[in-house]
Amino acid sequence: METINISKGFKITLAGMPDISVIQIPEPETIAVCAMDIPYIRPKLLIKENDPVKTGTPLFCDKRNKCIQYVSSGTGTVKKIVFGERRRLKEVVIALNKNDDFIQFETLSSTDINAVPKSKIKKLLQQGGLWQSFREFPSKDTADENHDPPMIIVSLNGNDPFSPHPQAVLENNTEFFEFGIQILKLFSNRIVVTSRQSSLDRLNGFKDDITHIVPDFYPAWDPGVVLYQLKRTQKENRSWCISVEHLIRVAQFLLTGRYPVKRVVTVTRSNDKKPHILTRQGAPVKDLVGSLDENSLITTGRFNGRIVDPQTHIGFFETTLNIIKDNQKEELFGFIQPGLATPTASKTFLSCLAKTPKNLDCNIHGEERACINCGYCTSICPVDLAPNFIMKALLSDDIEDALSYGLLDCCRCGLCSYACPSKIELTKLLSDGMDAHYKDKE
Amino acid sequence: MNPLKKLLDRSEKYFTGSGKFNKLAPLFDATKTFFFFPSPKTRHRPFVRDNLDLKRFMSFVLIALLPVLVFGIYNTGFQSGLAQGKSFTLIQSFLTGLRYVLPIIIVSYGVGFFWEIVFAVVRRHNISEGFLVTGLLFPLTLPATIPLWQVALGISFGVVIGKEVFGGTGRNFLNPALTGRAFLFFSYPLSMSGEVWVAAKNTVDGISGATALSFTALSDSGFTLSNLFFGLVPGSIGETSALCCILGALFLVITKIANFRIMIGGMAGLMVTSIIFYIIPGGSDTWMNAGPLYHLCAGGFLFGIIFMATDPVSAPGTNPGRWIFGFLIGFLTVTIRVVNPAFVEGTMLAILFMNVFAPLLDHIVIKYNASKRIPNV
Repeated sequence: METINISKGFKITLAGMPDISVIQIPEPETIAVCAMDIPYIRPKLLIKENDPVKTGTPLFCDKRNKCIQYVSSGTGTVKKIVFGERRRLKEVVIALNKNDDFIQFETLSSTDINAVPKSKIKKLLQQGGLWQSFREFPSKDTADENHDPPMIIVSLNGNDPFSPHPQAVLENNTEFFEFGIQILKLFSNRIVVTSRQSSLDRLNGFKDDITHIVPDFYPAWDPGVVLYQLKRTQKENRSWCISVEHLIRVAQFLLTGRYPVKRVVTVTRSNDKKPHILTRQGAPVKDLVGSLDENSLITTGRFNGRIVDPQTHIGFFETTLNIIKDNQKEELFGFIQPGLATPTASKTFLSCLAKTPKNLDCNIHGEERACINCGYCTSICPVDLAPNFIMKALLSDDIEDALSYGLLDCCRCGLCSYACPSKIELTKLLSDGMDAHYKDKE
Repeated sequence: MNPLKKLLDRSEKYFTGSGKFNKLAPLFDATKTFFFFPSPKTRHRPFVRDNLDLKRFMSFVLIALLPVLVFGIYNTGFQSGLAQGKSFTLIQSFLTGLRYVLPIIIVSYGVGFFWEIVFAVVRRHNISEGFLVTGLLFPLTLPATIPLWQVALGISFGVVIGKEVFGGTGRNFLNPALTGRAFLFFSYPLSMSGEVWVAAKNTVDGISGATALSFTALSDSGFTLSNLFFGLVPGSIGETSALCCILGALFLVITKIANFRIMIGGMAGLMVTSIIFYIIPGGSDTWMNAGPLYHLCAGGFLFGIIFMATDPVSAPGTNPGRWIFGFLIGFLTVTIRVVNPAFVEGTMLAILFMNVFAPLLDHIVIKYNASKRIPNV
């Protein structure tokens, strides 16, 4: 086990860490397969409303590569297909039947796995709706099946500081985890498994598999950050990554031949210690969050997720729901308050002297101003970018310069926007720049 | 509800949309957000944001300037008393000083804000907080006896030519306060460093320039090292006391508002250069022979390197760039003082000169950093 030294990141202790125990909630009435959390997808529907579907029936595929399918995680009938602006597919809602009726796929076993051709495993995973678990850098699009990745990074921790604890995910799944690693070894020569420092003491059974330990502040465990720290050659820029939760489901699917429907999610809010929740994939958000303050924001990752509506369903890649309070009051002379409990990455509030857990709210705390080159974004960026200079290059349409400054190393962690005193949407600008470049290349 | 909030809410309709004074919307916004800190909901990721904003950032510089300002006011009165041959008490000095300094500050803020509002209205953007600092830095670099119309002219030049013509705060490459001062220095050298200006009418012949910088016989006329350190010497309002500047510097460095690299780099550059000149034989009793400590405490160098050079907009944005930037300011300050006694205001010229080079330093550092990265295209 190696330790990766990362010095920059979000080092404030947050309040509202979920409890490690796992509870199960009753089966929901509806589930959905969501298209909003899938990057770059151009969905093509394969079913109509009121069609009956089984668990594992493909609902839509990606027009760019029709082999990549997104399948139903429940048995029932298609209740509604929800479209957003410009008829963008948002989600396919399915009213669940009492019992699951699985589509049975071919099974593999861990003894003869080395004899199976790689292409067959890939085909199986694409049919089973799990190939998209593999993401390819630098854009984190669905992995290209014809490309042999130089490295595959398995992250035991999710996208948010309070994503499910790996122990809750790995519990009773040791066999699947080991098999998953075996599969990855077929795809690539170098498998990197990373874990947060704090997760480690509950992962005794898996210590042999973990190759790298990362520090315990966001976003050190992000695969993009890990890749940046580990890569030595230009070829490694096209590495793959997969989360441990998806790896287990890939293995489970290949071993049992059935689409795995259960998953662990966390629901976090400040001043709360809710346990982890075991539920069906695509469960309704309102079932998970319970009662809600009207003004609060529900996100699937406070730094790099998306805003979700309580009436929608959780997506394939999402394992956390953060409920972030709206602190609406406009303080008199707010800009010069001493701030005894104010969370901040700067040293301008008295709260930076105490290490007590802080509550973040979903407010901007100021107005947008021009960049004053203060360098807060540079000093917090985990992949050593200078977001202020990249932003200026992007705004002047100088994509070549932006790329040479390392734009594609950006892991979209959101910390530059978080820290910016001028409240510039740096993450959005950089992320849009990367997307534009990627779509241009495609 | 707060009555002030009520008043603001009630008058909002006149300033927004098709209201009677909708052209003055930036002024209304500035007033409103000064009293009531705005905090809308986030719309893009990340959905949480830090509590530090530009208003707080700039206000902290003002807090750091307080010791300098208070001492400057006191010293103005004290020097005025000395020049009149009277010995003022603490309060007397302070009140006399206030009589001279307050109008200068009011004119500086008033005229400067006028230009800020004009440009904000024409360009339809909100008023940036950067001027809060410029408006106080500028008067502190002036002698207390400067005519008020020159203050107005100087701040106008600094704000308009030094900043707004380039697009406003964040886009200027020169420090606006120093630009204004340089303009006055070259246009009206007599008011800036003439011989007879001490803050009192009918004074005896001169002791004071803007800055104590004609080294020969300076020590004899009261400019000893300890006087320069504590600041009880004639000079510009804010820059006489090294001690107060250092207090401000500590505050800025601890809160990480200003970058310590520029300050340390600048002091190192000044020390090294002045020691080299000190070692070179000859030049006794000139600036060459002044020694590092005298160079450090004299002539507003500390004020410049702590409050002016650390202006993030006109300084480099990369750490190696900041070290070099600071070091060269120190080097140039001493060089200008020693080599060209006609321009005794070495610090001001050195900072402005290095401001021009800051983008180049950044460019070199960024290109170097980019060449060290594993290419990802």
